[in-house]
Amino acid sequence: MVTKTTKPIPSKTDKIEAGNLMEEVAEIFENCIQCGMCKSICPVFKILKEERVSARGHAILLSKKILDKALFECTLCKACEQKCPLDLKICDAVRKGREALVLKGKGLKSNEEMITNIRKTGNPFGKNIGDNPEKLYCC
Amino acid sequence: MNKNLMNVYGVDASKMKGTPLDVFLPETIDEVKRIVTTNKRICIRGGATGLAGGAVPENNVDVILDMSKLDKISNLSGEHRLVEIEAGVILDDLREYLYEFGLEFPVKPSSHMVCTIGGMIATDAVGNRAIKYGKTSHWIKWVEVIDCNGKLERKGITELSDYAGLEGITGVIVRACLKLSSVKTRTASLVKVGDLDDIVATVREYKRNTSVSMIEFLDKGISKKIGLEDTYHLIIEYEDDSGKFKGRDYDKLLAKRDEVYPLIASDGFVRIEDPKIMLDKFPKLMRWLEDRKIPTFGHIGVGIIHPCFDYNQEKCIPEMMKVVKRLGGAISGEHGIGILKKAFVEFNDKKILENVKKRTDTLSKFNMGKVI
Ligand SMILES: Cc1cc2nc3c(=O)[nH]c(=O)nc-3n(C[C@H](O)[C@H](O)[C@H](O)COP(=O)(O)OP(=O)(O)OC[C@H]3O[C@@H](n4cnc5c(N)ncnc54)[C@H](O)[C@@H]3O)c2cc1C
Ligand code: SF4
Ligand code: SF4
Repeated sequence: MVTKTTKPIPSKTDKIEAGNLMEEVAEIFENCIQCGMCKSICPVFKILKEERVSARGHAILLSKKILDKALFECTLCKACEQKCPLDLKICDAVRKGREALVLKGKGLKSNEEMITNIRKTGNPFGKNIGDNPEKLYCC
Repeated sequence: MNKNLMNVYGVDASKMKGTPLDVFLPETIDEVKRIVTTNKRICIRGGATGLAGGAVPENNVDVILDMSKLDKISNLSGEHRLVEIEAGVILDDLREYLYEFGLEFPVKPSSHMVCTIGGMIATDAVGNRAIKYGKTSHWIKWVEVIDCNGKLERKGITELSDYAGLEGITGVIVRACLKLSSVKTRTASLVKVGDLDDIVATVREYKRNTSVSMIEFLDKGISKKIGLEDTYHLIIEYEDDSGKFKGRDYDKLLAKRDEVYPLIASDGFVRIEDPKIMLDKFPKLMRWLEDRKIPTFGHIGVGIIHPCFDYNQEKCIPEMMKVVKRLGGAISGEHGIGILKKAFVEFNDKKILENVKKRTDTLSKFNMGKVI
């Protein structure tokens, strides 16, 4: 799948799509019991010690349909999913939340730059190091 | 902090909610002092695994003082079996650090991977091993506390009761000196018990065995839910190799036990209580709970049980508290009073707590609206 780049002014369809994604995300976290067990294994929380980067933090914000750039700090490692007693699909939710942010034109500038560089030069650094691949794939 | 992000700091594991006025994440004790002197109303927060709403701020009134970044461990003395820690240290991080030296902090609530030592002292947390090691306060040499004027003071054993178990209403615990024990090799067994009266006799028998460090109870429904037979079960932990579950099997069994509450909460039984009852009164209380289909487990070795209520059953809680009091029990054995259990505190206990609060928190700054 080709990644969408950040758009400065979101179109009406982008807004609707972002709204739909937010509904899906809120549904994923509907049953979160806020036990905090997901914090115990999160590599980002371990370093930063800030609840906003933990899965419980994402759950609280996303279930209120609040999109914050803290979502981009998640490594999508899925460790929290192993600890979550409810088997919540935390990474799916984070991914969808990020997509909604991008659709709303609130993606990260650094990501946008990287994507532009990849399109231009075939690598995220923006330096020509050989032939550009014909097709670009992104996670 | 950005207003949206502040929502994250408005909850704990009790599922109660509030909106903080602001959020602070100090990294040093001096920063805590500054935050305390420059704010009028402060709600203290550790790992926010509390089940009574103690770390939930009053809407747009309290600022949150999150202690998580005060996480230094220092001055370990193997000889004296002492270690000094800052309040935000997570219990499992401390356990991991001490393991290398053959030492451990033996009190272990089921939230050990997330709860902080500060939170454990403030709630005087009890763990699965309470029959052998008692409460958190039994393992504290001193605490350092910041009072409402921002003054740092060290409080020894004689003044500890003003802070341990007072749920942060008297001051901010910033450091503590913990007593330690040596690491033990542990094993466990699962014991099936047919009826409630037999449980009393069985528990009494195991309590006589000095190598037993944990006796946990699971009711029939919970046993079934975690893959055991549809009967009552006791998990017995030994500090020698008498148990059948050893090594990884032992670890797996204990991990299963730790997950009991989150598992039944996922079925809607979110509201967990923690009455403490004399062992011989346990069957009476259990029958009352079973009649109402309230799933129950807990630290039966010390008489603390955890009935879990779904939304419709919550209306039974005041009645259960009456039953507990009638049977001579206490309304909270370990989770604390917080906001959720305030209404059940006895008049005389309330008066005592109010006096301690007046004496220690003269500016009415900390955790207002909690406990009393
Ligand atoms: C799955 C699960 C299992 C649990 N099992 C147990 C168990 O077996 N035994 C048990 O006793 N409890 C248990 N609990 C409850 C909870 O984990 C304990 O009460 C724990 O001690 C709280 O620690 P915390 O750091 O999360 O504190 P928080 O929840 O953040 O705070 C709890 C209270 O302490 C106060 N506080 C926190 N830090 C400080 C500080 N530095 N200074 C002053 N006041 C402070 C807060 O204001 C609040 O009133 C469990 C909870 C969960 C979710
Ligand atoms: S472990 Fe799961 S249920 Fe518990 S707070 Fe994290 S996401 Fe929610
Ligand atoms: S997936 Fe994200 S939130 Fe979950 S443990 Fe990994 S970094 Fe933390």
